[in-house]
Amino acid sequence: MHQKRFALVIDSRKCINCKACVVACRAENNVPLGKSRNWINEEHRGVWPKLLASFEPEQCHHCADPACVRVCPTGASWQRPDGVVVINESDCIGCRYCVIACPYDALFFREDRGIVEKCDLCARRLDRGEIPACVETCPSKVRVFGDINDPDGKLREVLDRRQYRVKKPEAGTGPHIYYLLRG
Amino acid sequence: MKTIEWRFLIVNYLFLGGLSAGLFFVSALATYLQERDSFADSRIARYGALLAPWPAMLGSFLLIFDLGRWYRFYKLLLHFRWVSPMSIGTWLLSAFVLVSLLYLYAWLNPQQRDWLFSKLPKCLSSLRALHCDLSGSRRLLAAIGFPISIGVGIYTGVLLGAVQSRPFWNTNLVAQLFLFSALSTGCAALIVALSWSRGEIEEIRLLYTLDICFLTLEFFIVLPYIIHGKLSVQAVQDSLKLILGGPFTLLFWLFFLGFGLLVPLGIEVREIMPSLLSKTLIHCNRPLAAIAAMLVLIGGFLLRYIFVYAGQMSAIK
Repeated sequence: MHQKRFALVIDSRKCINCKACVVACRAENNVPLGKSRNWINEEHRGVWPKLLASFEPEQCHHCADPACVRVCPTGASWQRPDGVVVINESDCIGCRYCVIACPYDALFFREDRGIVEKCDLCARRLDRGEIPACVETCPSKVRVFGDINDPDGKLREVLDRRQYRVKKPEAGTGPHIYYLLRG
Repeated sequence: MKTIEWRFLIVNYLFLGGLSAGLFFVSALATYLQERDSFADSRIARYGALLAPWPAMLGSFLLIFDLGRWYRFYKLLLHFRWVSPMSIGTWLLSAFVLVSLLYLYAWLNPQQRDWLFSKLPKCLSSLRALHCDLSGSRRLLAAIGFPISIGVGIYTGVLLGAVQSRPFWNTNLVAQLFLFSALSTGCAALIVALSWSRGEIEEIRLLYTLDICFLTLEFFIVLPYIIHGKLSVQAVQDSLKLILGGPFTLLFWLFFLGFGLLVPLGIEVREIMPSLLSKTLIHCNRPLAAIAAMLVLIGGFLLRYIFVYAGQMSAIK
C-alpha cells in the first residue's frame, strides 16, 4: 500500500465563474460572509472584439513544505500524512503568523472566533470517503481531486499526459494544486 | 484576500522588546567595563538594570492582547518549535524577563531591597525568605543575560525575516538591522535617563560612543539592504518600491533615516568630536543629548512601523 497524498488539478479553461464552489464551501464549512476558503481570480484583458476573460479558482495549495505549518508557534497548523494541511482549533491562539507567512494568502482570521481558518479539503468528508464540496459541486468539472501517489488514479492520468504549472514555485513551499495548460 | 494582520500593537511590541534588549546589553557591558568601582559606569549599569525588564514586560502584554484568543497565550509555553521564530522568541523573551528581573534585584541597594520586602502582603510573607543580597552576582547575571538580550534584539528581526512570502522582509539583513536598532534605542533611553538626572560627562561620553557605533552599524546595514534589494529578483525589487516612491518613502527617508538616524548620529559625533581630535573634554550639552536620544528612539519606533506594515503589503506576484 502506498501512502496517500491528496492533491488537486484545476483546468481553469473550464471555469465559468459561477462561484458554486465558493458557495458550497461556505455551506459545508460554515464560512462567514466576507471571508472565503476558496476564491476565483479573474483577469480581463484587451478591447472588444479582441479580448480575454479568464477565471482561475484557487484555495490552499496544501504544500509539501507549508510555510503556515513551519511558523506556527503552537503546532496548531499541521499536515496530515495524506498531505492535507489543517488547523487544530483548540491549539490556535490567533497570532496570525500563518496568515502572513502563506505566499498564497489562503488563510484568514475569524474575528468572531479569534482563530485562523483555511481550506482543509473538507477533511471530515475525506475521512468519510467523500470528495471535497468544491469538487463535487462544480458544474463544469474544473477540479480533479485524488491521490497523486496512486499510479492508476485520475490525477496521475491527467498529470502524466498534460502540461501543467504550479503557482509561485519560487516561494519554495512545494504547492500541490496543479493548473493545466493549453493542449 | 490580502490583509494587514499585524498592526500597531505588534509595532509597539517589537519596539519595546528591542528597547529592553538594548538597555540590558548596555547595562551588562557597563557592568563589565566597571573597573576600580568607577562611579560613571556603575550608574549606567544601574539605570540600565532598573529599566531593562519593564518595556519587554509591557510589550509581552501587548503581544498577548493582540492574540485572537489572549487567554490561550499559555499554549505558547507548552510547546517549543525550533522552526518557528515566534516559538523561539517566546522562550527567549521569557528567559530574558526572568534574568533581567533578577539582574534588577541584584542592582537594588539594601534600603531598596528592604522597602521592596516591606511592601509584601501578609499572605506572601513566606517570600521574605528570598530576601538576600545578589549584588555579588551582578557580573554573573550580566554574563547570562548578555546572549539572551542579543537573542531578543535579533529575534524580532528574524520573526519578520524568516517569512519567505514577504520579499520586503525576507533577508537576513532585517535581523541585523533590528538588532543594532534595538541596541541604539537602549543606549538612547539611557542617555535620556542620565541627562534627566544630570549625568556626568564620562557617562554621556561612554553612551555617545556606544550609540555612535550602533547607529553607524545600523546605517551600514540600511545601505546594503537597499542596494542588495535593488540587485535582487523582481519580487524584492518590487517590494522596495514601497520605500522608493511608494507610501512609505517619506517616512523611511526623511523621518527614519534622516531625523531618526543621521541627525542624531551627526549631533552625537559633533558632541564627542573634541575628545576624538584631541584629548580635551567632550561638549556636554544635556538638552542636545536628550534631543538626539529622543530622535533615536523615534527612529527605532518608525523602523518597526515601516517594516511591519510595508512587509505585509509586499508579496510574491
